[in-house]
Amino acid sequence: MHETLSLEIRDLTFSYNSEQILENENIRLEGFGLFTVLGPNGAGKTTFFKVILGLLKPLSGRVLVNGEEITGNPSKAGRYMAYVPQLSNIDYNYPMTGREFIEAGLRARGTCKKRDCKMIVDDYLALVGAQEFADKRMSSLSGGQVQRILVARALSMETPILLLDEPFSGIDPRGKDDILSFIRKVKQNKMILLTTHDPVLTVNLSEKIIVFNRGVKAAGPPAEIFRLDLLRKAYGENVLFIEKCLHIIH
Amino acid sequence: MYLDLNWVIVIMSTSLAFSALSPIISARRLNFFASSLPHAALLSIALGYMMSIFLAGDPTLWAVIVSIPLSYLQMYLVHRGVDENTATSVFVAFTTSASVAALYYILTMFPAKVSLWSYILGDPLLASWEDTVNAAVTSIALILLTLAFYEKEVLIGVDRDYAILNGINAKLHDYFVITLLTVASVGLLRVVGFVIEHVVMLLPAAIAATSARNSREVLLISMLSSAFSGFMGLLLAIYLNIAPSAAFGLILFTLYLIFLVIKGEK
Repeated sequence: MHETLSLEIRDLTFSYNSEQILENENIRLEGFGLFTVLGPNGAGKTTFFKVILGLLKPLSGRVLVNGEEITGNPSKAGRYMAYVPQLSNIDYNYPMTGREFIEAGLRARGTCKKRDCKMIVDDYLALVGAQEFADKRMSSLSGGQVQRILVARALSMETPILLLDEPFSGIDPRGKDDILSFIRKVKQNKMILLTTHDPVLTVNLSEKIIVFNRGVKAAGPPAEIFRLDLLRKAYGENVLFIEKCLHIIH
Repeated sequence: MYLDLNWVIVIMSTSLAFSALSPIISARRLNFFASSLPHAALLSIALGYMMSIFLAGDPTLWAVIVSIPLSYLQMYLVHRGVDENTATSVFVAFTTSASVAALYYILTMFPAKVSLWSYILGDPLLASWEDTVNAAVTSIALILLTLAFYEKEVLIGVDRDYAILNGINAKLHDYFVITLLTVASVGLLRVVGFVIEHVVMLLPAAIAATSARNSREVLLISMLSSAFSGFMGLLLAIYLNIAPSAAFGLILFTLYLIFLVIKGEK
C-alpha cells in the first residue's frame, strides 16, 4: 500500500505574529527512509512540522499525502502521520503512566477496546524496550525513557509516516544510540521526518537532507548538501569544516 | 448531636462532584479559570435572582443560563491569544464589579425577599428537600459526565497536539469542560459558598497528585479525600458550631499537608 508513499508540500506559506516562517515552500518526499530537516534552534522547524500536520493552518499552499489533501486537517493528517514532539512540549507532570499515555490515544482513536488495547500496547512497549518502566509515573522517568514511550505511542498509531521533532534533545549518549538504532530499523518500512540542529547524528542514515531556517534553504542527498556554502544558508558563519569534520559553534 | 439526612446528602454529593472535576482542572491546567469561577457564579446568582423577580422562574436556573456565556467570554479571551493571567484579571475585574452592583441592587430593593449570605459563606445546613434533590441530581450528572470523558480530558491536557491528531475536537472539549465547571460552580454555590468554592475545586486533585501513581488513582484519591473532608467537615461544624464549608476547606488543607509529609518521608 505504501510503496508509492509520498508527502508533498506545494507553495506552503505560514507566518506567526507577522514573522514569516514559510514562504511558498515546495518539497516532494517519496518512499520509505529518513528525511532530516536540519537547521539551528529557532529556525521554525517545529512550526514547519505543525503546519504539515495541520495543527497550524497555513496562509496558503497545500500538503498532500499520496495525492490526498490534508492541509489544515489534523485528524486526517493523523491517519497518515504520527508525531513525536520535543520532550519540553509535553506536560508529563500530571500523574500518568507510560502505558496509560499510549492506551488513551488508542482508545480515543477507536483502535481497540480495553483488553485488546493492553495487548497492543504491550507489543509496542516491547518493540522499543519500555516494558520495565511502562507502569511508572512519567514524571519519574529519564528523558530517554520518556522518549521511548513517546516513540511507542507514535508507532501504535500505525501510520506510514513518522515525524520526530528534535528526538536527541536532552538525551544522554546511550539514549541517542538507542534512538539511532530504532531509526535504522523503522526506516525500512516507514517514511521518517526528523528535525535536528545537529547534522552529525543522522547524516549517514538520511536519504535526504532539508536545510531549513525560516524556509527551505536547500534539499538533496547528504553528499550534495554537506557543503559549507549550503549549510551557511541555515547556520550563518557559525558552521566550519575542520579536518573534514563539521563543527557548529553555538 | 443531630445529623439531618439532607445535610449528609448535600455535602456528600457536592464534595464528590467538585472532586471529580478537580483532576480535570489540574490536567487541563485550568486553575486560573477555577479560581475566577466563583466570582462569575456570584454574579450569575445575583442576576438570576433579579431575573426571577422580574421574569419569574427559578433563580438558580436563571443563574446557570446567565453563567455559561459569561464563562465562555473568558475562554474566548484565552482562545483569542490573551494570556491566561491577563484574561483572568480582566474577567474577575468585570464579574466582581458587576456582582457588587447587582448585590447592592438586590439588597436595597428587595431586602426581605432574598438572603444572599448562604451564597457567600455557604451553608448546607439550610438545605431543604428541594435543595437536596437539586444538588444530588446536579452532582450525579456532573460525576457521570466527568467519568465518561475523564480519559480524553487528561489526554488533551497532557498532549493537546496528540489528542487532536487522534481525532479529538479539543476546542469543543474546552467548551464542554467550561460548561461542566460553570454548572457545578453555580448549581452548587449555595452548599460551599463563594469564599470556599475554589478551594474544594482545586485541593482534591492537589492532594491526589502528591501520591497517585496513575491518572485513575488521581480521580479515586481526589474523590475519597473530598468525600472524607466533606463529611468530617459537616460533623465538625455541628459539633463546634462553625461554618461547614470552612471546616470542609480546612480539613482538605490538613489532608494536603499530611499527604505531602508522608510523601516527603518516602
